[in-house]
Amino acid sequence: MIRISEVYKYRGHECVINGVNLVIPQGTQVGLIGPGGAGKSLLMKICAGLVRPDSGSVLIDGTEVVGIGDVEMTSVRSKIGMLFQNYALFDFMTVEENIGFPLRQLGGRTEEEIRDEVNRLLLAVDLPNTQKLFPNELSGGMKKRVTFARAVIANPPILFYDDPTAGLDPVTSGKIFALLEERRERGGTTSIVVSHDILGMRDICDSFVLMDHGRIVFSGTREEIEASTRPFVGQFWRGEADD
Amino acid sequence: MQALSPFKLLSRFGAAFMEVALDVGGMAVLLYKVIRCFFPPKLDGMETWRNLYKVGVKSAPIVVVTALLTGAIMVIQSGALVAQFDAFGLLGWGAGFATLREVGPIMIGLMFSGRVGANNTAELGTMKVTDQIDALRALAIDPITYLLVPRFIAIVLMMFLLTIVGDLTALVGGAYTGQVLLGVSPSLFASSVIEYIKLEDLFNGLFKAFTFGVAIAVVSSHYGMTTSGGAVGVGRSVNNSVVASAVLIFVLDYFITSILH
Ligand SMILES: Nc1ncnc2c1ncn2[C@@H]1O[C@H](COP(=O)(O)OP(=O)(O)OP(=O)(O)O)[C@@H](O)[C@H]1O
Ligand SMILES: [Mg+2]
Repeated sequence: MIRISEVYKYRGHECVINGVNLVIPQGTQVGLIGPGGAGKSLLMKICAGLVRPDSGSVLIDGTEVVGIGDVEMTSVRSKIGMLFQNYALFDFMTVEENIGFPLRQLGGRTEEEIRDEVNRLLLAVDLPNTQKLFPNELSGGMKKRVTFARAVIANPPILFYDDPTAGLDPVTSGKIFALLEERRERGGTTSIVVSHDILGMRDICDSFVLMDHGRIVFSGTREEIEASTRPFVGQFWRGEADD
Repeated sequence: MQALSPFKLLSRFGAAFMEVALDVGGMAVLLYKVIRCFFPPKLDGMETWRNLYKVGVKSAPIVVVTALLTGAIMVIQSGALVAQFDAFGLLGWGAGFATLREVGPIMIGLMFSGRVGANNTAELGTMKVTDQIDALRALAIDPITYLLVPRFIAIVLMMFLLTIVGDLTALVGGAYTGQVLLGVSPSLFASSVIEYIKLEDLFNGLFKAFTFGVAIAVVSSHYGMTTSGGAVGVGRSVNNSVVASAVLIFVLDYFITSILH
């Protein structure tokens, strides 16, 4: 379970995360949506203990991650998989090395087993025969899929996906959402999905959180969000422009 | 242009001072964290090899060329005096003494900071702005142990070894120039080096090389790891890193020279 309470983060004098409270129960998948610059990526990094908020608390499976050192954080981090919005692939490693990296770090597996697992995932994300390529030889959409594979390979119980389908064509994007759905159905994974593809996300999340200007402006299930009478919520959900 | 009010001037001065203080503090903390990783030794073997190879191979040619020319220039500079006083037997000493103690480490240090230090800052800075450092941390890997310690070892060790190579090459360059320009035979040059240059002179220079190596490693890693603001930020960091390393090299040189003299 992830429990975020009263989290604030400032950039200079500007408040970029403004008193966020959020509980994500064990085994649920939450869709985090909102306009660009709302603070979605930042909130995820705070949850993963990568950015320290100016105040507030983040509990991951009962462990407070705010203010603890990188060393103490290690055991929490081993539970987390993260897909970064701007790929964050290690550019000195090949695709194969990038994806296998989390497994290699965990240890306890032979190179053979790691290679098989990498190949299986590469097939699942539709990138066969790219093992030996370097990230700078891939297109944006290909990088996204490699990042996805690296995030999920170690089967972490907590997953943060920051825009997993950005830059993908509709077919591939559908495949990635299907993989997310598959993981959810298998159960046991607590996850946050950030995406601007609301249509694709509708069916794969247990609930939704809408952020704007660093605040959570709405949270609830798909039915609740669709029934909302607040203009901003409805407009954002249906992708309507302001008139 | 409007004159700045004394208050504004003061606040600008204060801000600049704060910035320098933050950088110096950051570097001290970084150095401490890296040193801590050696007790007990924690490092990634693969990364260390990769960096040793990269730093060594990348810098060897440039060090050799710089050193050859440095040796030659030292001989040209002292050539006139040597000819004037007919002191051909001192040419090796004159060129060698200055090269080993002073010019060698400084020149190689500056080349190294431009080549390896700048590269290190750019690499770490790019990793920082593209979230690769965060990706490491998210995988429970300490960037200090995984990225910085191997780079430190590579930079310090290679700076030290390449200074030895550079010293030898500079002497060869000096001997060659001495023969071509002044007709001093290489054997006379060599015997003057062996006779007058003490081991202490060599160690003095190598000690400098070691400290310059540490300085380049700390400065370049610090600016790399604190990069923000995309490609522009990487450029700014590289710039800061090269300038700060050069300044630090001269400052350290001043203190070491005055203490060891
Ligand atoms: N480490 C940080 N410290 C302080 N402020 C930050 C930090 N990282 C990002 N911000 C600021 O937080 C705000 C929200 O950025 P964020 O990247 O979270 O937006 P986002 O909702 O993910 O947008 P998009 O949908 O475009 O990805 C921005 O104004 C950004 O400058
Ligand atoms: Mg974002």
